Amino acid sequence: MPAVLTHQHHIFMSQQILILSQSHLEGATDAVCQWMNHLRIPHLRVNGEDFFHFQSLADLPDNASIATVWYRRKINSFPVKYSFKQPDFQTQYTIKRFLVDEFNGLHAYLFHTIDRPKWLNDPLSEDNLNKLHVLALARKYGIKTPFTEVVTTKAMIIQLLDTHPELIVKPLSECIFLEDASGGQYKMLTKTISPANLQAVPEQFFPSLVQEKINKKFEIRTVYLEGTCYSMAIFSQNNQRTKEDFRDYDTQRPNRTVPYQLPAELEQQLHQLMQSLGFRTGSIDLMVDMQGNYYFLEINPAGQFGMVSYPCNYFLEKKLAQALHKNIMHEEEIHQ
Amino acid sequence: MEYLNLYANCQLVKGANMSLLCDLQLRKFYHLPNDTAEVLTFLQQGSIDECIAHYGEDNREAITGYIDYVISKELGFIDNRLLTELIPLDLSWDRYSDITNVIIEYNNGIDYTGNFFRELFDLHIQGLEIRYYQPATLDNIRALLEVFNGTTLKYIKLVLPYDEAVTLPVWDRLVKQYPRVKSLLLHTAPVNKVEKVFDGSVSVACFSSSINSCLACGEIRTGYFTANMELFTESQHHNTCLNRKLSVDQHGYIRNCPSMRENFGHVGDTSLQEVLDNPAFHQYANIRKDEIAVCKDCEFRHVCTDCRAYIENPQDRYSKPLKCGYNPYTNTWDDWTEHPLKQTAIAAYGLEEIIK
Repeated sequence: MPAVLTHQHHIFMSQQILILSQSHLEGATDAVCQWMNHLRIPHLRVNGEDFFHFQSLADLPDNASIATVWYRRKINSFPVKYSFKQPDFQTQYTIKRFLVDEFNGLHAYLFHTIDRPKWLNDPLSEDNLNKLHVLALARKYGIKTPFTEVVTTKAMIIQLLDTHPELIVKPLSECIFLEDASGGQYKMLTKTISPANLQAVPEQFFPSLVQEKINKKFEIRTVYLEGTCYSMAIFSQNNQRTKEDFRDYDTQRPNRTVPYQLPAELEQQLHQLMQSLGFRTGSIDLMVDMQGNYYFLEINPAGQFGMVSYPCNYFLEKKLAQALHKNIMHEEEIHQ
Repeated sequence: MEYLNLYANCQLVKGANMSLLCDLQLRKFYHLPNDTAEVLTFLQQGSIDECIAHYGEDNREAITGYIDYVISKELGFIDNRLLTELIPLDLSWDRYSDITNVIIEYNNGIDYTGNFFRELFDLHIQGLEIRYYQPATLDNIRALLEVFNGTTLKYIKLVLPYDEAVTLPVWDRLVKQYPRVKSLLLHTAPVNKVEKVFDGSVSVACFSSSINSCLACGEIRTGYFTANMELFTESQHHNTCLNRKLSVDQHGYIRNCPSMRENFGHVGDTSLQEVLDNPAFHQYANIRKDEIAVCKDCEFRHVCTDCRAYIENPQDRYSKPLKCGYNPYTNTWDDWTEHPLKQTAIAAYGLEEIIK
């Protein structure tokens, strides 16, 4: 069908979708690209690893040829390693931090060279997302959040335990995984504080985020895409091992994951929240308590949507490919 | 009031006499009498008390027994209402490639790097089965596996004659070198057994019978049933045996499956697009199990892989797989090879030799 080919050729010459991702361990990007190939949607995937082969700034993706940007990942790992002749743990870490900053300095230049409205999610908002701010914003739009405080003393914890039978402590930033010199691994997950384990809490400590513990019926993971919410309920309650955090996977008895429909009012509020942050996509964590109240927990703008898409048979990889394609078609209309 | 909420990915499939409760997430299935299925269906609209009132107090014990069973298998939970926000599972099916699975019957006279194969693997094929009927050297196998480096192919299954000189550590090294190889089937082996290599991630199955032609294919057995999202949803809309499947037989002819009569050209002089544009290539793609004689009354129909190559009546493409011994009206499994009504078809396909 020559007419179709000409049309595609025309789009390809003018504009395409830019996908910023990484070369390894990114099944979601792979699947979206495969859908784009199948649907013949013109796109360019640039992995962070590719930056190491650029000859000059001229090799960076060019604003004029890009209709829209999906910024999925920065990089998996640097293809080069630097170390001293006698490596020292501390300096090795400092070098690593420095190289990350150097790479970010280059990568984030794209946030400025490619027009901001072209980004599916505002990249500066995404890179500087603040948990406390997002919680405050959610409350502003009328979404219930668990009682949240940042504390530094045991005395304050004792005082809070007067009104909330149990508290949880979790990072203000992101969870990390640690490994000690002997290879011991430490997973950082959400933990409970109650009068029963209060003795383990020091008198004074690093400013820490605590929340009232919600007696949850189930959790909800919602993938938000261009105004639509695709939700999944996660039942982990009957399994003690995963009661606090469903990331503590139990392969023997996995959590039940099923499609879910949020109330229309909550979907509207989430839509407002996402819009105010400049996000057209992202994954949202919610919780439902025994009385059926919904609590907003957090947003992950580059969340794993495959873990919602597959169990619920939502085809989100295809829907994302099509949503990005609409942006090209929209651009075409403007130019004509 | 108490209600039983059944999880949306636990799907009931009703047969003539028995039903199958398919847990598509945990990939298990439960064979139930239709009476039980009827009660579970009632409970999707009414409370437990209403259910007991409907079926009578005499059935209270049976009904609570069914509910306890569902709870113990974690297929549902009890709540003070039916949670309508737990919406039904969307059973639609779609894939990003025109061909999802390929079978190659290996022949060392065929060039597997040719145009046809390049175009084929550019389609983002997910699974490939390579069948060797004759012994092959490891170098030969490696050379073929090399062809698929750089493609988006996800998994390869190798079917090979057993060779006592090739030990498990050799297979271990091979699958580490070619991580797309996710399973091996070694036929004509001294014993039937399954071993694992690559830290338990790749199975090496030894099979005592010989697989020297595609005539051995198409058996329907409970061991081959799979309850998962992919097969269950595809089965609602398409033929699970031949939809988006392509094979290249040992002579290089392109077919839906090596056992099918029709071919759509030779790999040496046919383009992939010609095959995909040929309506005959897709003629079996939409024959659903719900439309096939006998299968449409079988509770296993959406966990079954079907077979369109060997059927009870070769003249009727909607007839039951020949190599299936299950009777959904009596719920018994019989030896299909001895069934008097199957003998004409067995002779028509020339299967007498392999069933001796």
